[in-house]
Amino acid sequence: MMHAALSQSTLQSPLPSPLLIDELTMIRAPLVKALGALGSPTHQIASRAVRTSAVLAQTPAKAPEKIEVFVDDIPVQVLPGTTVLQAAAEVGVEIPRFCYHERLAVAGNCRMCLVEVEKSPKPVAACAMPVMKGWRIKTNSDLTRKAREGVMEFLLMNHPLDCPICDQGGECDLQDQAMAFGSDRSRFTDINYTGKRAVEDKDIGPLVKTVMTRCIHCTRCVRFASEIAGVDDLGTTGRGNDMQIGTYVEKLFLTELSGNVIDLCPVGALTNKPYSFVARPWEIRKVSSIDVLDAVGSNIVVSTRTNEVLRILPRENEDVNEEWLADKSRFACDGLKRQRLVAPMVRMPNGELQAVEWEGALIAVAKALKQANGQVAGVAGQLADVEAMVALKDLVNRLEGETLVTEADFIKGAGIDVRGSYLLNSTIAGLEQADAVLLVGTNPRYEAPLVNTRLRKAYVHNELQIASIGPKIDLSYQHDNLGADASLIKDVCSGAHAFSKVLEGAKKPAIIIGADLLARSDGAAIHATISEYCQKLNKPDWNSFNVLHNNAAQVGAFDVGYQAGAQRAVDAKPKVLFLLNADAGKVTREQLPKDCFVVYIGSHGDAGASMADAVLPGAAYTEKQATYVNTEGRPQQTQPGVSPPGMAREDWKILRALSEVVGTPLNYNTLDELRSRMEQVAPHLTRLGQLTPAGNNELSAKVTPSKSINGGPIDVKQKELRDYFMTDAISRASPTMAKCISAVNKQQRLNEQSKQSVAI
Amino acid sequence: MAAIIRNLGARIACATLAAKHVVPAATTTLRFSSTAPAGAKPAEKPTVRKPDAAARTHLSDFGRYVAECMPKYVQKVQLTAGDELEVLIAPEGVVPVLQFLKDHHQAQFTNLIDIAGMDVPCRKHRFEVIYNLLSLRYNARVRVKTYTDELTPLDSVCEVHKAANWYEREIWDMYGVFFANHPDLRRILTDYGFEGHPQRRDFPLSGYVELRYDDEKKRVVCEPLELAQEFRKFDLSAPWEQFPNFRNANPPTEVVQPAEKK
Amino acid sequence: MAGREAVKRAVQQVRPILSVDREEARKRALNLYKAWYRQMPYIVMDYDIPMSVEQCRSKLREEFSKNRNVTDIRVIDMLVIKGQMELKESVEIWKQKGHIMRYWKESQDPKPTDFLSKFIQGIN
Repeated sequence: MMHAALSQSTLQSPLPSPLLIDELTMIRAPLVKALGALGSPTHQIASRAVRTSAVLAQTPAKAPEKIEVFVDDIPVQVLPGTTVLQAAAEVGVEIPRFCYHERLAVAGNCRMCLVEVEKSPKPVAACAMPVMKGWRIKTNSDLTRKAREGVMEFLLMNHPLDCPICDQGGECDLQDQAMAFGSDRSRFTDINYTGKRAVEDKDIGPLVKTVMTRCIHCTRCVRFASEIAGVDDLGTTGRGNDMQIGTYVEKLFLTELSGNVIDLCPVGALTNKPYSFVARPWEIRKVSSIDVLDAVGSNIVVSTRTNEVLRILPRENEDVNEEWLADKSRFACDGLKRQRLVAPMVRMPNGELQAVEWEGALIAVAKALKQANGQVAGVAGQLADVEAMVALKDLVNRLEGETLVTEADFIKGAGIDVRGSYLLNSTIAGLEQADAVLLVGTNPRYEAPLVNTRLRKAYVHNELQIASIGPKIDLSYQHDNLGADASLIKDVCSGAHAFSKVLEGAKKPAIIIGADLLARSDGAAIHATISEYCQKLNKPDWNSFNVLHNNAAQVGAFDVGYQAGAQRAVDAKPKVLFLLNADAGKVTREQLPKDCFVVYIGSHGDAGASMADAVLPGAAYTEKQATYVNTEGRPQQTQPGVSPPGMAREDWKILRALSEVVGTPLNYNTLDELRSRMEQVAPHLTRLGQLTPAGNNELSAKVTPSKSINGGPIDVKQKELRDYFMTDAISRASPTMAKCISAVNKQQRLNEQSKQSVAI
Repeated sequence: MAAIIRNLGARIACATLAAKHVVPAATTTLRFSSTAPAGAKPAEKPTVRKPDAAARTHLSDFGRYVAECMPKYVQKVQLTAGDELEVLIAPEGVVPVLQFLKDHHQAQFTNLIDIAGMDVPCRKHRFEVIYNLLSLRYNARVRVKTYTDELTPLDSVCEVHKAANWYEREIWDMYGVFFANHPDLRRILTDYGFEGHPQRRDFPLSGYVELRYDDEKKRVVCEPLELAQEFRKFDLSAPWEQFPNFRNANPPTEVVQPAEKK
Repeated sequence: MAGREAVKRAVQQVRPILSVDREEARKRALNLYKAWYRQMPYIVMDYDIPMSVEQCRSKLREEFSKNRNVTDIRVIDMLVIKGQMELKESVEIWKQKGHIMRYWKESQDPKPTDFLSKFIQGIN
């Protein structure tokens, strides 16, 4: 990697390169890991050593002896190897820090965490220094305070005083700590505007804005990129006063996780580009919600002001997203303001959709329903919430319709009767402990970026061995691509393949199947084969069978009894077809009977609305309180941060009102009543945030007719970064996502050009 | 990060508490200030006025005397913010106590400066009514506090202090505390037909109704409130301590103990 | 002990506002009603409101019957005091036409109660 970066820079940089080589310093905490990417055998050994040590550090059983230290004269028992900072945190003493971060490797370069240790001649860096027996740590002594003030003075010497025009203002670690720990007077006397360091800003993409003069070189972003995101794009060049964070050569920092460096940056060097100069943290309202743009169900905080979603930040949840958030979830929120349906619409005889009042729209739909004689079907799309799906199901059933399906495909047939057969049974957090993983027809990096970070974490710290069946893709970590042929599944599951040995020998093996793979005609056979094999792999407290869904509605839909595949709805030849947020374009006008009346309920004017005869505007996920079930089967609810635009209403209320106009009112008027109905349908849906362990998937393995797996290549939909950004109605409407795609395309063109110039 | 600093703040509070008893105060006072001017004499901080000890004894002696004279009404005597005398009395004692303070030769609190109200909805007697008195003769002030609820009337002190008339009307208007024997108790600040008492804590800041001029009807009409613009609310909590200078300010209240019986 | 406490609370003396028993409170309320009733023609005339005396009197009755379920003597007294205050404001022509017309709440639409009309109006 280092060589690659160097060669590029020598090629493209206009600067004379020898100097650059001299000064190029990379700060990579897990250096061995970075070198491991080179693939030389010595490095592999070295990396193994590091991994084992990491494993050792994680298992306290091997180091039972606790040692006693004193933090501000408070005694505390800690394990050997604990750092001073962690020991202090255990007694509730927080030491100020900039570079240290719990989830990143220790760098120890900001020096803000200096504390006095008795009998030590100099203050020590608390984040990097392991405690010794009997140490007396003074976090508030004169020496400590003076050290902090000194560090702060050095930091501020080259930090611009532009807080009034800085986006970090009000939520800036440097601001807060300068207030709390800095000196109350300045010795900076250079008023001739010559002294402060200035650094040119870098263009690293449409998501992250950089003001590099503000950077204090904590290298959190560098460590995040190389450790968590697995992209060695960021690094440092130069030393001392000339040190810079950057990408070596002008290049975009585009990973699916790039937004997290904004949260990590303790100052305003890396800020949110779409959000720049929009609002101050004290004037926004924060609503704790969850994300629905992928099936992970990341916990988020929605920041709103004057009925407008301004930005989305991650919220910490160890079981789901730790504290990260994928870029689509974070930046697609401007799609909530575009392409919105704000008024009910009915298709006029001339074929035009015309905005009408709610009464008119409801009556038009009711008229169609009355004539349908029970030939009613419903299709739930990828953003449909459980409440609306239950209401739709009840409504369709009351009208004597039976066909209720999800737009996304899954196995045909009776494969989804048991919950365990369509969940990520190992759980997202559980995957961290896995030691052998087989990915079948899925690209977790783009289908569920935060599941991929877990896999990467296990790969870095837990000696996880990963193999994949499917196209060759970059997963941000090393893995064995076994090939793309579907017959490989049979080989592995019969135990004949080499990787079967690895799986069978593993303590916690896991097989992750992509949901799209099961849409194949032989999906049921693949499902049955793998599920049968997983029975063999399962341990008493470990379920190795995993399905990775790629949309938020899927698991909830199966939980309340929807079937998979929009084709079923088409085959039913309905007179009235409900499209609940169904925008993927799986159902088209041509497939449906001529007299079919299509009702679209949803938030965005996308594929679904354009083919509908009646459009009933619904609320997006930031505008309603609604339940979503993530891919591991964890029900969580969104909270309304803003009110729906125009005449849009919450989805389940539309269905409830419609049912009254049709003359078969659903018997719930409030959300609570609907939730108790949901509890009747599936009791686990109201246990929000909790994971209800799925039953054993043994049953389904027997039920499914074991067809043979046809050969043929396995493909995944999202292969590259550009496929990731627009996958649903909200992200398709988002201008930021469009910018991301064009930025990725531009970068690729540049890469190709540089390759050509090398060839010449 | 905010949590870190808040945490520190709490620890400082503990430390200062401890300092009163054991630790010499000097170790804790320098917490946030610079260590740079070491050895320099700490500058005078005029932000917090230190009360005069002689004035304090005078006031507490006087408070004790009032309590002795009217044991039936006076429930508690305290000094707030160092040197402000407060006499807490039972509601039935308003007239006698104010009469006493006005007419007693050693008191002569002849000026009623203000009557204030206070609403603490969680209390059994949710309203406090506070009388601020001034004695020009002795250049002294005293504060008399009493309590009541929504339905219990207080005696009007208009007989004692003519100035009470409008102040009591204001309390009636803002809190809905009824004053018995008031010569002219009616609204003073709110509009005719206004419903509710705006200073009660359960009255929303934006009110319930809004007025507008109706062009058709040619008069002002009153409608339930519809906020056209979002009600702006700022989160002003800061991770750092906002008024460090007031950390060692005067204690909010010190009870004046009654004199020991001999 | 607990029993005694309960008795004490039950017979606890509260300071009356005006009336000492129900009969007196009732009399006061009736007197207020009568006073308003008699003043109605003058109010209609003085303020020149587009309402007949009969309409005003039925509104008066409506306003009084809003509180027909009040039994606490002190609450009745408080309402009487406030009613008296309003009466005085009206009779003395301190109020303006708009203040009087406010009793009819003309420009206010009644709030919907059933699901469908709430849905159509967009009220939760």
